[in-house]
Amino acid sequence: MRAYRALLRKDLLLEWRGRELVPAMLAFVLGAMVLVRFGLGGETLAGGTRAATGLLWVIVVFTSMLALVRSFAQEREHGIWDGLLSTPADRSAIWAARATATFLFLALTQVVAVPLFWLFFLQEGRSPSLGVLVAALLLADLGVAMLGSLLAGLATHVRAREVLLPVMFLPFMLPLVTVAVRLTVDTISPQTRGFHTSQGLGFLALYDTIFGLLGWALFEFVVED
Amino acid sequence: MVIGSRRARPDGATVAATATAVLMALALGMIFFYVPTDVDQGYSQRIFYFHVPIALTTYTLFLWSALNAARYLWRRDPSLDLKSYVPMHLGVIFGSLTLATGSLWARISWGTWWFWGDTQLTTFLIIFLFNCAYFMLRFSVEPGERRATYSAVYALLGVGLIPLSVIGVRFAQRNELIHPITFNSNGANMDGSMFLTFLVALAAMLSLAVTMYLVELRGKRIDDRIRAIRRLAEART
Repeated sequence: MRAYRALLRKDLLLEWRGRELVPAMLAFVLGAMVLVRFGLGGETLAGGTRAATGLLWVIVVFTSMLALVRSFAQEREHGIWDGLLSTPADRSAIWAARATATFLFLALTQVVAVPLFWLFFLQEGRSPSLGVLVAALLLADLGVAMLGSLLAGLATHVRAREVLLPVMFLPFMLPLVTVAVRLTVDTISPQTRGFHTSQGLGFLALYDTIFGLLGWALFEFVVED
Repeated sequence: MVIGSRRARPDGATVAATATAVLMALALGMIFFYVPTDVDQGYSQRIFYFHVPIALTTYTLFLWSALNAARYLWRRDPSLDLKSYVPMHLGVIFGSLTLATGSLWARISWGTWWFWGDTQLTTFLIIFLFNCAYFMLRFSVEPGERRATYSAVYALLGVGLIPLSVIGVRFAQRNELIHPITFNSNGANMDGSMFLTFLVALAAMLSLAVTMYLVELRGKRIDDRIRAIRRLAEART
């Protein structure tokens, strides 16, 4: 636990001093939203709020990819790996600290992204339920951070890692996005047939549990040398 | 001495290949001459006896691959890495066949090559993408222990992905009942002769997969051995 706290502090401090990742993610979110806004038609929104909510999730996935590609970059570029691995700290602590930091960066980005989404896309008073959207985003961020940190560790010692990481990551996003989109879009005007918000959130929690356990168990194999 | 023992007892691949030939001939005979034509879907329903066994074989191959991946991480035996890689590779072949036969069937019975509302087609697409990523990862790492470990870790992640995809996609689809429900909690939802044909076709497909697995595994081992001998020879000269 002490190792986890120290590692998390290191990750957050590095970001605070370097300000490398979060500003880039914010700029990316803004750019992507403007692009999507034009993509859906400048004045009137093609597909309306429903299409926009679906696209919000696509933007969330691509933004998180940005964070993951830079994950462990400091360790790689400045040779921190060897130092980290020579400490007696449990390998899972490295993973847990990295996942927590990524989760915080993603959540921070969304603090800006969600109001922007409201400003850019919502029309005629139709909007998804804010509570459900925030809950779904937080659960999704957690899953993305835990799975992503494992995959980022896997990609660290691989050729063409910047290309490979998205390729490895995207298949895992498909079930997540499928459910998250259905969950949030349905709160705009329910067209449900036996689909409940609690079921959707439950699925996201299950996703987090499974990849949390797998990440925790498998990360030590990824960094063993 | 090795040759002598081989002559005395046929090896696994030969037995599997013979069983496949017999079962496949039997399955084809039953599919085209024995089983009655479906009342609703007509003659084209016969593709079911290919499509579903191929899909189930794909799942079995992934499960086998993941199991060997876990065993590799546990025991660190390089032969287990091959035993995890080969079924994953065959899974791509059977997976592509599943997508192709599914798409054909969709075209005939629903009038479209692809239907995004269908749970099982979409799930298979996710698994297929996962599979492609596995190969990209595997061939981006130099051969050796690291490649084996990374491949095993990624293969094991698939164990999480596959059930989640099945649940997630089924959850989110609005028209989930378009795919024929063949099996439910009451067992097989079909006529006795159809079920028998299905079982024979499934056995044929599984036995084909076992044959391909054994043959490819042997090929890979010979490959490894030749490489080792070549390295030795180069070191000597």
